[in-house]
Amino acid sequence: MKTESENLTAQQSLDIITAMIREAKGKAQKNAFYFLFWGWIIVAANLGMFTLTQLGYRHPYIVWLITIPAWIISLYRGYRHGKEERISTHFGTVSMWLWICFGICIFTLVGFGHKLNYQLNPLIMTISTIPTFLSGVLLRFRPLMFGGAAFWVFGIVGFLTPAEWQPLIGASAILCAYIVPGYLLKNRKDQ
Amino acid sequence: MFKELDPLLHSQLRLAIMSLLMSVESAEFTFLKDKTNSTAGNLSVQLDKLSEAGYINIEKSFKGKKPLTTCNVTKKGIKAFEDYVNTLKQYINK
Repeated sequence: MKTESENLTAQQSLDIITAMIREAKGKAQKNAFYFLFWGWIIVAANLGMFTLTQLGYRHPYIVWLITIPAWIISLYRGYRHGKEERISTHFGTVSMWLWICFGICIFTLVGFGHKLNYQLNPLIMTISTIPTFLSGVLLRFRPLMFGGAAFWVFGIVGFLTPAEWQPLIGASAILCAYIVPGYLLKNRKDQ
Repeated sequence: MFKELDPLLHSQLRLAIMSLLMSVESAEFTFLKDKTNSTAGNLSVQLDKLSEAGYINIEKSFKGKKPLTTCNVTKKGIKAFEDYVNTLKQYINK
């Protein structure tokens, strides 16, 4: 690229601006990993909990311990990507803090779960609407916005459903809100 | 009567640098070099010019043992870029 171009026309200037803004756009597809990874982890945990409940196991919620290594993997991957990233974007910063706030709320709810008789599934689904829907807005990706709305609907269904069936509602919600949008995002072509 | 385009921004490489920096919070030197397809020496000179005008901040640090140069646009730079684009619109709509 040349340094001095006093003869730049207005159209050439505009073309440079447009081309550079396009170059600076991050690839939204890389976010698909987290939706798919957490999607499958939570589906497995919900189905595992449902199975153990049906088998009469006393502590079916034990399957949720699989989220501990999942958190470690997510944090490590996020840290590695953060180090490799050569730009910092407003979207990245907002998105990171949105999910960190969500994670803190989830930990708080789980920590005080005994106060709610561990009927957390519908509550977590309902508040999952916020980061999921907003991620869809930030990524300008409508399936994820529908996914956020699906969480809200499944949250209501969860509140109306007996506790032993709630893990199935949770698994269905994750399928609609994370897994389907996650695969669509992964395969999305750059606009 | 058209306003004159800011001569500091009316150059291919400096305009490209500013357009990239307007789209992000901050960017590393290597990112700017790759995206603008410029040489390290030329990019460095143009970054210094933009920095001297107060349009960008340049921070030098280390990433592990490697030196790291990070740039971000200042408020003055944002204003200058917006003015440049507005003047450009006048030329295009004439």
